[in-house]
Amino acid sequence: MNKRAQLFFLLLVITLIASFVGHLFAGQVKITFNDYWNAVFHLDETNTNHLIVREFRIPRAVIAIIAGAGLSVAGMFMQTLFNNPLAGPYVLGINTGSSLFVAFSMMTGLSFLQSDLGIITSALLGALVFGFIILFFSFFTRHHVTLLLVGLMLGSFTGAIISVLQTMSSAQELKAFTIWTMGSLQHVQFDQLPLVILFFILGTIGSLFLIKPMNVLVLGEKSTELLGLNIQSVRIFTIVITALLTGVVTAFCGPIAFVGLAVPNLTKTIFRTQNHLILLAGNFIIGGIFLLISDSIIQLLEGTIQLPINAFTSLVGAPFIIYIVLKRLK
Amino acid sequence: MIQFNKVEIGYKQALLQVNKLELKKGEVYALIGSNGSGKSTLLNTILKKTPVLSGELLINSTSITSLSVNESAKTIAFVDSKFDGIEHLNVVDYIALGRTPYTNALGRLRPEDQAIIDNSIEKLNLEQFRNRATLKLSDGERQMVSIARAFCQSTPIILLDEPTAFLDYGNRKKLIETLSGIAKAENKCILFSTHDIDICLEEIGINLLVINQAKKELEKYPNTISKSEIISIGFDLGKE
Repeated sequence: MNKRAQLFFLLLVITLIASFVGHLFAGQVKITFNDYWNAVFHLDETNTNHLIVREFRIPRAVIAIIAGAGLSVAGMFMQTLFNNPLAGPYVLGINTGSSLFVAFSMMTGLSFLQSDLGIITSALLGALVFGFIILFFSFFTRHHVTLLLVGLMLGSFTGAIISVLQTMSSAQELKAFTIWTMGSLQHVQFDQLPLVILFFILGTIGSLFLIKPMNVLVLGEKSTELLGLNIQSVRIFTIVITALLTGVVTAFCGPIAFVGLAVPNLTKTIFRTQNHLILLAGNFIIGGIFLLISDSIIQLLEGTIQLPINAFTSLVGAPFIIYIVLKRLK
Repeated sequence: MIQFNKVEIGYKQALLQVNKLELKKGEVYALIGSNGSGKSTLLNTILKKTPVLSGELLINSTSITSLSVNESAKTIAFVDSKFDGIEHLNVVDYIALGRTPYTNALGRLRPEDQAIIDNSIEKLNLEQFRNRATLKLSDGERQMVSIARAFCQSTPIILLDEPTAFLDYGNRKKLIETLSGIAKAENKCILFSTHDIDICLEEIGINLLVINQAKKELEKYPNTISKSEIISIGFDLGKE
């Protein structure tokens, strides 16, 4: 790693810590540093501030990092796998798959499917199924925009199915699902955190084993095989890891748009490397920072307007993607 | 090193027959033939991209079909006719990818891998390009860098598909001389397809493999053969 990359990592880690702390203090209720200290080390269950810290602030900040990092890393893998700077879990319909399966499980009325584990399982399964659908379509096109259009159509198609499901569901189920689709980092509770972290760690460990194949895949699929890697296993393993990272985030936070597309492009511009170890670490940190700051802004604006995280990332992300399209795919 | 025994080559239907041929270590072979005569298919067959239609193709006395993907990568390195360069990928990192078959699941380069990478860079005189972006090289430089990557793969065999196709005269000559030098000095078996008959005839010690247009067979000639003979065997201009 060169001096420039080291300097960037140092700056990014400092920014990550700063935005994490900033996020903790960004909410509408004023909470002091002392409250944080005591809530963690000397919990007083009758103190509202302590409860806010444990039940809302800390889980929300941790989830922001996990969601940002997970989606960005997943996006990076998809961009390298499909050799396409416009690939990402949202635009290629991986989130959509999760949404569809979650919609099914929320609206069936079966209690297992409505539990945490039920929702996670559905989201993971949905992400996996749609991951393989996109992989299948990718064999028919080498063109960047074509694959994107397939992803978008897949999105419209599932959107329609979800609409039909919604007309058939009860008012309560409908409300739960609608809130879920808006995306939010605040629905995760303290006791759900271990489950989210567990899946996220699994995804991250899996990611480490994708670094080598991704570094080679940059040379193209033919070269990858001639350098001794089984291309079919590489593809499948990439989709599984991508689905795992996207699915767990989507299960708890709802679909979050554009993070997985914008952050990997930003990371590549900053580090100017094809070394996926550096890119993985970069996406992890920058993705975390991006969602921490986005969510801090949402919290600061809460008194004035209620902005769902999905709306916010689209507001910032969509123009950035237009910029990439115009700049890189003239 | 590579043995052909009545091998039929082609994509679905036979394009070319190789009756009895052995490609040896320390030798360079130039594969010459008209467009569509089966040069690329022959290379792809050795790379296991195209299956052998019939006959026996042995590498180191074992059938190529029994080699795993990883064993193949440790036995045969391949260089394409053109490497366009890749954004944000510099020369040394590109060359280092040649070590892929030998690194562990996390792709960690051991000191001995590093030494082999440095050695490849030195052998091909690429020291000044080491940290250059692959996109910022000339076609000739990029082709040398690709050869360094293949060299770094430490395989007894290197195949090249028309490596001189996009180069100017000076770089063509330099590339063919380099291949000839590597084969002798490192005791490797090098096979490349080409249309540069003149340079191959000038360079001493290159074996010529010509695809006989009329018989659809691969034949071996010493490079004392004349250009007009090669043309009449391989390109059959009068008869079509």
